[in-house]
This record gives sequence, C-alpha cells and structure tokens, in this order.
Amino acid sequence: MFTKYKLLFLLPGLLVLMAIILFPLGFTIRVSFSSWDVIQPGLDWIGGNNYARMIADSRFWEALQRLSFISVASVLAQYVLGFSLALMVWNQVRMKRFIRVLFLIPMMTTPVIMSVIWRTVFHESLGPANDLMNLIGIGPVAWLSTETMALVSVLIVEIWQWTPFMFLLLLAGLLSLPKEPFLAAAIDGAGPIRTFFNVTFPMMSAISVGAIIIRLIEASKIMDTVYVLTSGGPGSATETSSYYIYIRGLRDFQIGYSAALSITYLVIMIIALTVIAKVLSRLVTEK
Amino acid sequence: MNSSGYKIFKFVFLAFWASFVVAPFLWALTTSFKTINGVTSGATYIPWVDYEPSLDGWRNVLGTGSQGINVIEPFISSAYVTIGASALSLVLGTFVAYGLSRFKYRAGFIRNGDITFFFISQRIMPPVVLSIPFFLMLQQLGLLDSIFGLILVYIALLMPIAVWVMVDFFNNIPKEIDEMAMLDGCSPLQTFLRVILPNAKPGLVVAGLFCVIFGWNDFFFAFTLTFTETQLLPVAIVSLNSSATPWWSLSASALISIAPLIFVAVLVEKYLDRGNLAGAVK
Amino acid sequence: MSIVAENINLTVDGETYLRNVSFELPNEDFFIIVGRTKAGKTTLLRLLAGLEEIDSGSLTLDGDDLTKMPPWERKVGMVYQQFINYPHLNNFENIAFPLRRAGLPEDKIAEAVNKVAAVLGVEEFLEKLPSELSGGQQQRIALARALVKDSKLLILDEPLVNLDYKLREQLREEFKNIFNDQRERLVIYSTTEPAEAMELNGTVIVMHEGEIIQIGAAEEVYNRPANTRVAEVFNDPPMNLVRGVVEGNRIHLNQDVIMALPAHLQNLAAGRYTFGIRAADINLKPDAYAAEVQLGEINGSETILHIKLGDISLVTEQEGVHQYDLGASASVDFDLNQLYVFDNNGDLLFSPATNSSFEKAMQDQEKDN
Repeated sequence: MFTKYKLLFLLPGLLVLMAIILFPLGFTIRVSFSSWDVIQPGLDWIGGNNYARMIADSRFWEALQRLSFISVASVLAQYVLGFSLALMVWNQVRMKRFIRVLFLIPMMTTPVIMSVIWRTVFHESLGPANDLMNLIGIGPVAWLSTETMALVSVLIVEIWQWTPFMFLLLLAGLLSLPKEPFLAAAIDGAGPIRTFFNVTFPMMSAISVGAIIIRLIEASKIMDTVYVLTSGGPGSATETSSYYIYIRGLRDFQIGYSAALSITYLVIMIIALTVIAKVLSRLVTEK
Repeated sequence: MNSSGYKIFKFVFLAFWASFVVAPFLWALTTSFKTINGVTSGATYIPWVDYEPSLDGWRNVLGTGSQGINVIEPFISSAYVTIGASALSLVLGTFVAYGLSRFKYRAGFIRNGDITFFFISQRIMPPVVLSIPFFLMLQQLGLLDSIFGLILVYIALLMPIAVWVMVDFFNNIPKEIDEMAMLDGCSPLQTFLRVILPNAKPGLVVAGLFCVIFGWNDFFFAFTLTFTETQLLPVAIVSLNSSATPWWSLSASALISIAPLIFVAVLVEKYLDRGNLAGAVK
Repeated sequence: MSIVAENINLTVDGETYLRNVSFELPNEDFFIIVGRTKAGKTTLLRLLAGLEEIDSGSLTLDGDDLTKMPPWERKVGMVYQQFINYPHLNNFENIAFPLRRAGLPEDKIAEAVNKVAAVLGVEEFLEKLPSELSGGQQQRIALARALVKDSKLLILDEPLVNLDYKLREQLREEFKNIFNDQRERLVIYSTTEPAEAMELNGTVIVMHEGEIIQIGAAEEVYNRPANTRVAEVFNDPPMNLVRGVVEGNRIHLNQDVIMALPAHLQNLAAGRYTFGIRAADINLKPDAYAAEVQLGEINGSETILHIKLGDISLVTEQEGVHQYDLGASASVDFDLNQLYVFDNNGDLLFSPATNSSFEKAMQDQEKDN
C-alpha cells in the first residue's frame, strides 16, 4: 500500500539524475573507442587505439602526477592549518561568531573570481605580493612565470580557499565532543600537548577522515583556479588532468581521445579515492 | 608551553590568518577605486594617500562609464540559472531524501544505502568527464548557449548536495511523527507536505544555500556550454581578465560577483551550529 | 464488528517479531497486552494501526481484509511511549489536526478540542507549543489528539513508561476512568508491568517471544496462568518455577527440600512436575528450610531476596525493609496452599483452591500507592 508513494518520492529525482549522468557517461565510454575529431566527427569504431595512444602520452601521466601532488599537499596543509585554527577558536569566547563568519568567507567565494584577484596580487611588478617580499627582505619573486613558484602560487590559492572548509568541519567536531574525557585528563594532570594527542586527536579522527576525503574528492577536480591563474603554465608546469583533458577535448576537439582520457581519469580517481578512504578509515578504527 | 606564551602565539596566529583571509578582498576593494596612475606606479594601498581615488571602475562595470563593460546582464543570467537550478534540485532532492529516509527500497541487490551512495557519489565526477556528452546532448536538444540548458546541467551538480543534506536532516526527525500524521488521516504525500516540511525549515535553508553557493560558483559548465547568447558572471569576468581590461574595472566586477556570497556566508553561519555538520560527515 | 487475526507471522531481516498470532477482538472492550520488552507487543499494535505489513496469515475487520487498508483510512488513534506531537503546531492545533483532516467545521473543532482538553486538564496550555510542556503534559496532548477523533480503535503503546513514578500513578488512575468510559470503541493498551494491567481492569493478552500465550480477565490470568511462561511474565518478580518429583504423597524438590502434598494437590499422581510459587508466598520463618542469601534488594516498602536452597534458586518478597549480607543464612517456609503445578510441557495442571491471592495482590497494590 506504500509502493505508489515510495516511487513517487524517489523516481523523479532518480530518473532525472540518471538521465543527466548515466546516459552521458555511457556515451563517453562509447566515444572513447571512436576517432571522433574536428575533421571527422562521428561514431566509428577504432577499438582501443585511443587508449594505446594515451599510454604513450607522457603529458597526461605528468598531469596526473602533478594533480596528485597538488591535491595531497594542499589538503594536508589545509588540514593542519584548519585544525590549528579550529583548536584556537574552540575555547575562544570573545568575537567567536565574528571570527567564524570571517574564516568561512573564502570557501563561499567563487574560485575563478578569486583567482582573477589573486592574479593581480601575484603580478610581479605591480602586485602587493612582491611588495611584501621586498618589505621582509626576500626581494621580488617570479610568482607566475617560473615552474616552482607557479605551483606554489596555485597551492597558496587552494589553501586560502579551502582551509575554511576544514576549519568549519573540525570546529563543528570539536564543539560536539563530550566534556568528560577532558576532565579526566585534567585530573590526571595531563598538559595541553598530551591532552591533545591522547584525548582530542583520537576523538577527532573519524571526522578528520571524513573532512580529508571530501576535500580530496573536490581537489581531484581542480581546474578553474589553474585555468585563470596560470593557464597551466609556464609550459605545462601547473597543468592538471582536468585541464589537459579540457585542452584535448574542447580546445583541440579530439573528442574520441579526450573521452578515453576522461574515462581513465575517472576510473583512476575512483580507485585512488576508495583506497585512500579505506586505508584512512582502517587507521582510525585500529586506534 | 606556558599559558601566556600560548595566548600571544594564538593571537598572532589568528591575526595573521585573518589578514591573509581579508587581504585579497581589501586589495580588490582598493584597486577598484584606482585610476591608471594608482596601478602602474607599483602596488598602492590607501586612497588619497597613495593614489587619488575615482569611481571609474565601478562606472565602467555598471555600464555607465566610458568603456562599455557590463556585468549587470551576466549577473541577472547567473541569478536565473542559480536560483532556477537550486529550486529544482531542492524540490527533487528533498523528495528523494524523504523517500530514502522513510521507506525501504530494494531492487535486486540494491538497497537504500546504495541509492543514497549513487546520489552522493556524483560529487566525485570531474566536470570535464561529462563536458563533451553534455555539449553534444545540449546541441542535439537545441539548448546549447541557453539558460535552460545550463539549469538542466546544474541539476546534476546540485541535486546530490540537496539529497546529502536532507537525508541526514530527515533521519533526525522521529519517524513516529510521520506515522502519527498518517493515523490522523494524511497520506504519505500529505504527511510530507503538511507535517514534515514545516519541521524541516532549517535543513531546507542549509541545503538551499549550499545549492546556491555551488551553482553561483560554477565556472566550468558555464564556460564550456555557453558562448554569446547567454553569459554567466564568472565567464564574463574571466573573459575580461584575459582581455586588456583595466584592473580597477576587473576588481569592481569581481567584488560585485562575490558580494551576494558574503551575504550567504553570514546566513549559513547562523544555521551551521553544533553537531549539525559533524554528524553529516561521520 | 470484530477484528480477527489468523496465524499471523511477521519477520524483519530474519528476526521474528510475531509467530502464529491468532485472536478475535470485539468492537468495544478494553484490552491490555502484557509482555516483556521485545515480546512483540509494539509490533502487534503497529500491525493493527496499519504501520507494519505481515508475511503470512490474515487480518480482517468484519470479514474485510484489513492488510490492504492503509493507516490513513483506518480511523485509529495511537499514543506512543515517546511523547509524539507535531512540533510546529501549538497544542490546540495539535489536538485539532485529525479533525481538520476530517474536514469538520471550525466551531465543531473548537468545541471538541475544548471538551477533550477539559477532560485531560490541559485547557491552559492550548496556546503553547508542545516543546514548552513537561513530559506528562505532552503525553496528555498526545492522548487528547487520539481521543478527540472518531476512531474505532485506540492504541496506547506503553504510554506511561517514560514518565516518573508519581506521574505514572496519577495518569494511570485517570486512564482507568477514561477508558472505562470509552466503551464505544476498542481500546488496546500495552505494558510490561502486570501490576499496571491488573489495576487498569481490562481483558489481558499475555505475549511472549512473538506469541500470544493467554487471553483472559486479569484475575483469571493471575489465578490460573495457562503455562509456566505466563506465570513468569504475569508476575513481578516472576513466579518461582522449580522442577520436582511427587512420590508417596510427598514433593521432593531436591534431597533436602521435601514437603507434604497440600490439600488442593491430593489428586496429583506420582511423577515429575514443575512447581510454581510466587515470591510473596515464600516467607521467612525460623526453623524451616535453611537457605543462603545471594542478593537483597529493597523495592519500595518490600525487600526482594534472592536465595538458594542447595541447588534451587528462588526469589522471595518480604514486607518491610530487611538488611541481609551476601551469603547470610536464612530460614524460609513455603505457603503450600498457594502452590501451582505445571506438567512437563509447562501447561497448568493445578492452581490454588482459594482465590484470595488476587484480591491480596490488588490490596498490596493500593497500599503501595
């Protein structure tokens, strides 16, 4: 007697999502076995040629390595900074609301728009970043035009944008912790550092894993920031997987080849993120 | 670690971070009032002291200045797409979330948990993977470069967020309230509309705001699926960025694009109180 | 009109909630389901309300299949053990909700709500929200909403269990009066406490592990428990059950505890039986059977002693407060006139001849209050 209603609630949303996601995904898989490009559009069958070409395409694999580095490095930095900030604000009484709103703002703002602003900040002769470098005696830095510094700039912007997300989740976690273990630690005479490692950190491990995985998922898609800030350059020094696939597909219009890259990228991401999630969860439960 | 030393360290650290957070905004704000002299002589900061302020940048982007840059139209398009897609995602997502929270579904080996995972796992999909089929699909439907086409695509982006927030929220409303309403004569649909939705306002607000943020902030789909007829705000500003747009106009347009989000941030903060979020992640 | 259940089975995720449940309930009476936690009471009530679906068996109302009828068409009033009200509506609207759904005119709604609010003493809270009330008051609002509508069936699933002791006593007394005035509908009330069932004075349905094991008047079930499981469930503390042998007009519980057959058991043939005796019928008495105290708990004005006579574990209930140390020795005697005998399947063979014990239990109950 509930069947009618069960379907009424679930089906509209499920069918819409399946139509928008599964059909295009299936189509992409099919296209990845075709030679569809700007000269010869259409679905022919060329077997695994695109995949064979991909294996020899070092630019794709370098982009994947670079993406892994950017994701892991920025998420780790966000976690450490976000946790530190959350710990400091946790017992803060004055101006807590104000601090929380302020720290929240970066994650709410549009990444590409902020990248437009950051580009002017990092401008080598006219931007304030080098003004600051001169002030503290380091001297001008070639922020966006050398390979290493371009990568650093991308990391800085990522950290600025997404540390607030970590901060927000970890602060929520800290606020929901029970009081008793801290009292017990205080009675045992544990100092702040021992309390942190023996009490706070273990209790925060589940939510930490959750927050890190959510951020890794989002970071694995990085493209907007890179597109605006460095256009993948200098050379291909900051090119991520999404960006390279975009170049092959929607700029060079090698539809078939970019479909093969897309599917490979998606599969690798799903496997990598699942493994990371499993490993991190196991670490937590073993504690 | 003595406690006064820690206090000083904490103050310095929080102050440093606060400055880091506001720095790009303040820089954009001051730049938006500059003229050519305030930019080309190196970084300047304080109006009247470092440079002579002017409203040229703001006049330009609002379409009343000498340069014909206009962000008002893209702003309105962005608002249409964001609000339209968020509203549809919220309606569809809330129905799905209520179903998943209250009924048991089974089809073969598939259970509720698998369906919920299917929705939420869409967040793992990199936009670039879907960009080509979306492009071809909208082309076939004649919806390329249109507001309606983008709304369709954004539903895929936003509905998982609505489902994620609302499933958790509904799970925290006792099932007995639904049963009571049914015994009092409400069908499941009436129960949902008359009893559960009025009690789910905070969840709806949070889910709605998240949809608005992610919708407003999307660049990739707007960039790859629209060209001349329809232009959303991020695409408009990024295209200003690549052309020879003066910094003051660029900064003013960036601030206009971000202003609604700062307002949303203040709203969201009110609702994101204890447990609310922590529970959703675990 | 009557509700008839035949061989109902209900299993969820491999766990059995109801097993071969059959009954026939008339349209106007007051039933009390008694059973321990997880005995299937709630499942049975939810089934009657239309909130559970059965695996096999049939449930009919005047011959019409009830399993196809969704809850919103059944005209059932229900009160849960949690205090369930609509959080977004004030108390007036909470009580008025089913009437509005039924499409009653405004003046009729106001009249009905005010009437039931007066009966339950909640008139002064009608403008407030449920969350502004105490637990007892919230439960009164929930009961008012269940009573106000024209329901054929009123279900109360352990409605008092989450209230404090004093409030429970007070509400129980009120409920007794309300439900005995409600004879135009079927009222089913569930509880874990036999004392509550006896006080409410309705027909008792005893459940155990998903089965109905006895239906009858409270007094009948108390005096003549159909089997050992009823004897355990319908007594608090559970009736002591000891295996023993009858041989030559004597009962041998073990080699030390040997007693003569009392008058009402003179016809008991030699053989193996299970003997039952209530905790209150084992008394401390000097120079009787030697026992060792395992545990003593004070329960209100009574002391409950867990004792051992050799290999036999027993529970006794003594009036007044007594202090016993662990392992202390005591001497107890049995009121053999109150001895029950069950056969090896656990079914009742003999019960005490005098029916005084139910009256006595009721008087004890009054005294406690």
